[in-house]
Amino acid sequence: MTRSEPTETAPWTGRPLEVRGLTKRFGDVLAVDDLSFEVSPGRVTGFLGPNGAGKTTTLRCLLGLVAPTSGTSTIGGRVYHEIPSPALVVGSALEATGFHPGRSARDHLRVLSRASGVDERRVPVVLDQVGLGGAGERSVGGYSLGMRQRLQLAAALLGDPGVLVLDEPANGLDPEGIAWLRSFLRYLAGEGRTVLVSSHVLSEVEQTVDDVVIISVGRLVRQCPLVELTDHAAHVVVRTPDPGSLRSALTAALPEAAVALTDDGALTVSDARPEQVGHVAHAAGIELHELRAASTDLEEVFLTLTRGDAP
Amino acid sequence: MSAAPDVAPVRGARQRLVAAELLKVTSTRMWLGFLVGTVLYIGVGVVAVILTPTQPGSPVPTLETAAGMRNLFAQAGGAYVFAIVLGALGMTQELRHQTLTSTFLAEPRRNRVMVAKMTAYGVVGAVYGLVGVVFGYALALALLPIKEHAEVPWTALWQIAGGAVLGCALFAVLGVAVGTLLRNQIAAILLILVWVLLVEALVVAFLPAWGKWLPGGALSGVLQSTGFGGAEYLPVWQAALVLLGYAAAFGALAALTTQRRDVT
Ligand SMILES: Nc1ncnc2c1ncn2[C@@H]1O[C@H](COP(=O)(O)OP(=O)(O)OP(=O)(O)O)[C@@H](O)[C@H]1O
Ligand SMILES: [Mg+2]
Repeated sequence: MTRSEPTETAPWTGRPLEVRGLTKRFGDVLAVDDLSFEVSPGRVTGFLGPNGAGKTTTLRCLLGLVAPTSGTSTIGGRVYHEIPSPALVVGSALEATGFHPGRSARDHLRVLSRASGVDERRVPVVLDQVGLGGAGERSVGGYSLGMRQRLQLAAALLGDPGVLVLDEPANGLDPEGIAWLRSFLRYLAGEGRTVLVSSHVLSEVEQTVDDVVIISVGRLVRQCPLVELTDHAAHVVVRTPDPGSLRSALTAALPEAAVALTDDGALTVSDARPEQVGHVAHAAGIELHELRAASTDLEEVFLTLTRGDAP
Repeated sequence: MSAAPDVAPVRGARQRLVAAELLKVTSTRMWLGFLVGTVLYIGVGVVAVILTPTQPGSPVPTLETAAGMRNLFAQAGGAYVFAIVLGALGMTQELRHQTLTSTFLAEPRRNRVMVAKMTAYGVVGAVYGLVGVVFGYALALALLPIKEHAEVPWTALWQIAGGAVLGCALFAVLGVAVGTLLRNQIAAILLILVWVLLVEALVVAFLPAWGKWLPGGALSGVLQSTGFGGAEYLPVWQAALVLLGYAAAFGALAALTTQRRDVT
């Protein structure tokens, strides 16, 4: 896979994406529940949540495919269908988007380029970009999962858009493809474009994203830069013969910190540094046997957050 | 923020959408299969009319009458069955293969997409109609010498050809509308075939005064041919308006239901 020749700034580079109070109900199912977040240009934002959290539904609302029950979602301040020639400024690849099995990849893209007003000469360019240059004439019916995913991506890139909305783009890609996707998305964000990528695994996008928007059962759990999540994963492990006293001392002195007793009798203190914990213990005259900084696996933090029992 | 400027709306967007819909048709092989089907169907119709033994008192006009000759050449309009099914598939396939998402992402003004699709299928239907007419006429003229027959109604042939092309175009549009309204591919095909080949045929045969107002009856009107004996049909212009009315009414209804429906 190769990058395209450098172009002048793509249209709509530098525009944010905004979701405000978005709610979508499918019959009895509340798929998205009063969701608000922003996506900044020039950064890659990971849109994360477990299966059924409402990621795809949110993106479909944003792209005008699903009518929200209430709330709004805009791209560069406009709802999708009010953007003139939207496919030229917003590139998107969504889950549950298919291809006619009897149509070649090239013809699929030619259809889209005609419909959206993109120059048809972009078709071979994007096919090369996603590594399908040699398979463009083949019917999509014979494509592998990864090849379909690449074709989906090619369709998103067709208009050379300043805003990219990709729903689980890494699904089905081989390690080489994932590595390419990572560097490609970083490169696009580096050009000032707005990039939103959804995933149900944090570790998949950990090396790609700058910001995260985490949702669970349709609600926002957390929106922050990834580093904040990494900080959140850091905690202090402390061991003492008198955990009960230390615990009360810590909760009194550090109201931000969450203190928990582990099975082996140690205390874990989140949102605190070892020196803070040491100071509290010293001031309370409590004997310590161990005091160290530790960090939880980021994926575990994600699981805790989306399970809904986060602090 | 130094946001890049707006993109000017693409000029000729409506024509581009029609071109995109036409490319959808020609970039898979289905249209070819349907064209082969059309030719076979018309061929069987023409041969059957020519070979039907002439019995005195039969309700089917014989080739020795002007009406019988019209009936023979009207077989060339048989492409309408394929045109309406193809039109229905034009929408149900998008739902079945989940390509509608891409279609509406490329052009979120859904009304325009619907109009473009119906226009494209109207064109495809007209082409089917034309191919059917050329083939049907050629076959009929080639086979006629084996049978006693009245004079070939040359001027009527132009009018039948025009009726067939218009009728097939409008049936294809009607097909897109039916496919959009029913959504399920199997249901749409079944309903169309049962309606066109069974329900209408029965109504036309037994309640001709009502039958002539149905789409198939109106098609008989634009072809000025009963197909089967005993039926009535409307004058050409009235029949053409009735067909146009069906296509416009169902087309508008289909576009309307598509307007806000969730695409998931
Ligand atoms: N068309 C629909 N009709 C009814 N319910 C729906 C529809 N689309 C989505 N849902 C429901 O809405 C909820 C959110 O689904 P959504 O596809 O948005 O989740 P997701 O976060 O994309 O999940 P995944 O990681 O599995 O892709 C689910 O409970 C799903 O069953
Ligand atoms: Mg999803």
